[in-house]
Parts: sequence; C-alpha cells; structure tokens
Amino acid sequence: MKDLPDFNAMSDDAFRALARDFVETHYPDIPRYTLGRLHWDQVKPWYMVLSAQGWLCPTWPRAHGGMELTAAKHLILIEEFERYGAARVNDIGPVMLGPLLLKFGTGAQKARFLPRILSGEHIWAQGYSEPGAGSDLAAVRCEAVRDGAEWVINGQKTWCTLGMDANWIFILARTDKTVKKQAGISFLLVPMDAPGVTTRNIENLERETEFCEVFFDDVRIPADHIVGGVNEGWAAAKALLGHERVFIGAPRLSAAAMSRLGHIARRAGVWHDPVFRDRYVALQCDVADLSDLFEAYVDRLRDGRTIGADVAMLKVFQSELYQRISELMMEVAGEEAGAVMPPEGDRRLHAAATYLSARPTTIFGGSTEIMRNMLAKAVLDLPG
Amino acid sequence: MQDEAGEDWVENARMIVDSAGAIVPADGSLARVRAVRFKGPGYDRGIMAEAGALGLFQMRVGTGAGGLGLGLRETCELARVLGRGLLPEPVLPAIMAAALLQENLPGSALTGEQVLTWAWQDAPGRLDWTGGVKDGRLCGRKHAVQGAAGADLFVVVTGAGIALLPRDAVTVEVADSLDGGKLCSIAFDNAADLRPCATAQSVIEDATLAHSAYLLGVSERALEITLDYLRIRRQFDRPIGSFQALQHRATEMKVGLELSRAAIFATARRFDTGIDAQSRAQAAARVKLRAAQLAMHVSREAIQMHGAIGITDEADIGLFVRKAMAEANLFGSPRMLRARLAAMLDEGLAA
Repeated sequence: MKDLPDFNAMSDDAFRALARDFVETHYPDIPRYTLGRLHWDQVKPWYMVLSAQGWLCPTWPRAHGGMELTAAKHLILIEEFERYGAARVNDIGPVMLGPLLLKFGTGAQKARFLPRILSGEHIWAQGYSEPGAGSDLAAVRCEAVRDGAEWVINGQKTWCTLGMDANWIFILARTDKTVKKQAGISFLLVPMDAPGVTTRNIENLERETEFCEVFFDDVRIPADHIVGGVNEGWAAAKALLGHERVFIGAPRLSAAAMSRLGHIARRAGVWHDPVFRDRYVALQCDVADLSDLFEAYVDRLRDGRTIGADVAMLKVFQSELYQRISELMMEVAGEEAGAVMPPEGDRRLHAAATYLSARPTTIFGGSTEIMRNMLAKAVLDLPG
Repeated sequence: MQDEAGEDWVENARMIVDSAGAIVPADGSLARVRAVRFKGPGYDRGIMAEAGALGLFQMRVGTGAGGLGLGLRETCELARVLGRGLLPEPVLPAIMAAALLQENLPGSALTGEQVLTWAWQDAPGRLDWTGGVKDGRLCGRKHAVQGAAGADLFVVVTGAGIALLPRDAVTVEVADSLDGGKLCSIAFDNAADLRPCATAQSVIEDATLAHSAYLLGVSERALEITLDYLRIRRQFDRPIGSFQALQHRATEMKVGLELSRAAIFATARRFDTGIDAQSRAQAAARVKLRAAQLAMHVSREAIQMHGAIGITDEADIGLFVRKAMAEANLFGSPRMLRARLAAMLDEGLAA
C-alpha cells in the first residue's frame, strides 16, 4: 500500500491542486466526459490506477486502505475529477459495500473483502430491487433459507447497475416471512460464479446495457456470508451513505447541462431568441440557487454538524432541475432532437442523450415521490 | 460590513432579531397589523419611533459616521423577522435611506421621531433610478415610494446625486394598496442641493436583497400557518395533511423556501465580503426573482389548502396573500427581473 500524505492537513487549495495534478497525470487513455457509464473492460485501467495509488476509496479509514478524507476534501476530489471528465469507476464496492462492512461487518469479513475491493479483484453489484419491490423495497421476496452451514437462495434481483461486470453481489433477502416485512430481511454476500446464479442484461431507453437482472436458483453460500446478523439487513441497508446524501444533490450535473444547453442553443441559432432566453435565465437562476443551498449543507458538513432528513430537498430539486434543462434542450434542438446519431458525433451536443440520461435521476436512490412522502412526514411534520 | 467579523454576524443578527421582538409580536399575533390597515397612511408612526429607539435605522450607517455598521446578513435577518410579522411600517426603507445619508442622517430620523423614506424608481415597471433631474435641478417623479403616505423626510435618488426633501417639498400621490397600505408616487420640483452619492446602485441592490428577505419571512410564516391547518383540519375522518396530494405540494413550498433562504444569505455574505458590480446586479435580480415567485406560490397554495376559509378576510392567512400581491413586485416583478437577466447574458456573465 502506498504511503499517503495527510490530505486533511493540507489547505483546500493545496489539496485541490494535488487532486488536479493527480487526475491529469494518472488518467489513462480512456474516454472522458461520457454521459453514460463505462463498462469494466473500458474503465478498468482507471480503477487500477486509483487502486495502485491508494486513491480508490476516499472515505475509508487510512488503516483500511482509504484516504480518510473529510467531507470538504472529498467534495474537492469529486469536483476535480469531474472537471477533468474522469469516468466513474465501478464504485459499488468502494462507495456502498465498504462503508457498510466497516460499520456492520465482522473482523473476518473486513479482512477478506475490503482488500479485494481495493485491489479490483472483487467488483460488486447491488441486489436490492426486485420486480415486486421497487420503492417498496421492504417487500423483497428473494428468499434465503438456512440449510446446515449454508444459506440457500431462490429469487430474483433487478436494476443491478453494471451487474454484468460484477463478480460479487450483495442482496437483501427474505429470511423470515412471519414477521413485519422490514424485520425479516438479511444482508447476504453472494459470489456471482456460484452455481445457480444467472444474469440477463436489460437494454435501457438509450439502448445501452447499464443494468441487468440476476436470478438465484438454489444458490448456496456459506452461513457466514451475512452482514449485520440474521433479520437485521434492513437496518444495515438504511444506515448507509452519510455525506453522500449531500453530494447526490450537487449542482454539477445541472450546471454542466446548462453549459451544453447554451452550446446547443448557439448551434441552433436561438441564443438571442427572447423566448429561449426567458426560460434560460430562469433555469440559470435555479442552478445558482441550488448551488447556494448545496453550499449551506457543505458548510454544515465542514463544521461537523449533523445532516438531517431535510437534505433530501437537494436531490428532489436537483434531479427535477436537470430534467427541466433537458426538456428545454429538446425544444431547442428541434427536429434534430429525434435523430439517433448525435450532432457532429458528439453525444454532449445531443439533447436526446441528456434528456434520456436525466430520466432515471428522479427514480433511483429513492424516487422523487418517495422523497416527498418522507419530507412531508420527517421535515414538515405532517400526519401519516 | 467587512467580513473580518467572521461569524460575528450570527450573534449580531440574533441580537437584532431579539430586539425586533418589540415591534413584531413573538406569538405571531396580527391584531395590530389588522388595526392599522386601510386607515391613515396604513401604518403606525409610533412603531417607527420604537424602531428608532432600538437603533434599527443606524444598522447600515458606518461606524465612522456614528452608526452600527452592520452587514447585509444582519439586515436580511431583521427583514425576515419583519416579514413574518407582516410589519407595515417602512422600517427597511428608512434603513436604506439612512444608508445613503450616512453622517448626514438627521437626528429626528435616527430616532424615528420623523419618518424617513427614500424614492429611487423612475417609472413603474422599470428599475431605472437616474432620473429626477432636469438641467441640474431636482425635478420629476419617483414611483413605488414605500411609506410615503406618512413620511416626513424623503431621500430622492437621482443620477446627479441625492437630496433630502421635507414632506412639504414633494407632492405625494396615493392609491390604496391591497394589503391595507398605500401605493405612492411623489413629484418634486425643487432647488435643493444634490449631494454626490457613489453608493446609490449598491444600496438599491442591498434593498432588493432586504426586501427579498422580507418576502421570505412572509412566505415562511404563511407556510407555517398552512401546515398547522393541514395538521388540524379533518375531512373523511383524517387530517387533510395526511393526503399525499397536499403533502407533495407542501414539500414543493418548503423546497422553494429553503432555496430562497440559501440564495438570500449566501448573496448577502458575498455583498458583505465584496463582489464585482456585474455579479452584484445579477445576484440581486436572481435572489429577488426567487423570493417574489415564492411569496406568490406559497400564498396561492395557502388559500387552496385552507379551502373556503382561505378566501375570507377574517382568516389571517388572507393577510399574507394580500401582502404578497402588494409587495412581490417591488424592486422588480419576475418578468422585469428575467428580462434584466436576459439582457445581462450579453455582458458575458456566467451564473
């Protein structure tokens, strides 16, 4: 493992310069500024560079091979990587499973799985949703039954992002059907090469295969591949994400879309059209206001204050704003909006690409409707 | 106004807000606000004297000129509290007029014994302020002059400087305003001295932020009252606040409220710590745009969520609706502000 400097002792400016230099120096010869996700065979060189340099897991403790960045430093890292257009790696291991194991895993689980995430040996998929359990996630039916020293798993998971690239999957499985639905769920770790695991790719509206279904047919795993105790999986799954809940509402996605919108408008010859401008400036104000609200939450993180349920407002507004920007893009693009091929071969100039990539943002990570239900109760104190 | 005070502004703001309790009842009572509407100037001059005694009119007068030299964040925090109480008195206009006058602020205005306001807007529906002079002489009209119906002193802002006029030097034209106040314009033709004033544009932008914070307070309190009603009012054997259609609309109001709050205070911080002129103008327009839309949005939804009681004059929520309608467009309607921002696109400004 590399001997890393104490990043948190650096000034923000010094760390920003370091992060910028890092990505410029180390980013491999793979695509930048992609709207969609890259698959493992494309993004692996970047993952392995991050791994080798010790920059793969910004939030993990240093003792476990992480950078142990504060929220403020982590944000700077994200900003600099995005500024360069660095592709997002298969990060379910570093972002989701790692922190969960650090919090709920046994010593043996940490010792076995964390180094393999860091080395790129294990690429993880998330197995939460099912055909009958989307927003109502606690309704999962994929079942695990204890048989001697093993769990036997039967059922189906779906919407597994980049699941076809993974060799391990963590799932929420039903382990008790007799209790309240949240109380009968366990968190299991399953190797995808186990007999009985099959996958089927799902083509999305962009006709790309970013997610897949995973089927479990009498799949057997050792009894100790469970995190957080039998029937305690729900609490573990819900405890996740910490300051990531703030970052998911960051204005960068919308700000970048605004600059593409400006470009598309100039190209379409409507930049000076007052009808266009009326809507453009309103969106520009929305992005700026979102930035100010986002910064208020970042200040809270910086000061070590707690982040409450109200942070979901950021994601609700950000995702809908991103969609509204993409809707104006579609209008501006005119007939070209309907073409399969992007203008000048550049997907970033293609309104349709942004429009479609904006759709899932109000669905994943808690749909906007579920977020609003939660805000109404937890923040506005309205009755259930 | 410098930010070397760092986080001092939080403590300053807390003290200001505490003192504002003397003119805005903490229990949210609007009895006094009801009592003064549609009568006389539409406000109580005695409250201006109380505000003067609290030192509020010295907030934006520099310490070198004998004032408190407080920042715009403190001013906006005060404005928010005044908005929550629908304060009808022209406290904010007096603060801005005093900011223009600095060491020339008359003692009688500082104490609130005489009511001071300012007049800057050249024409309805426009944000220009450099008019009001002809051949070097103070001559013309100013519009949307807040509190003019009961004011004793007017700071008139022109492109050739500012002048302080007594009541008998201006003609005040008055129309009743929906909130029970007065919509006023003034005309003047006077040989008064015009004093150079380099801060007119920035004080107008400061005032735009402060007024936005006032609207934030109006919206914040209107939402609280509406949420209370949603919790209490029962139909179909359930509180109506349990209905998802209303819950989702309520969260939309909350999101708008927090965006406006964040935009106001982040912008006020930038104003306090220094910002270039173009960014300043753009930020003021953006902040005001959000606040105006918010006040109209929340007050409209408040009526609907109250049902029939919401359209009675008896229910307090109606006072918020009337205030939003009367004042959301001061310092620029959303249409004007978007037009201004659109014009600024050509000046090469980013968001």
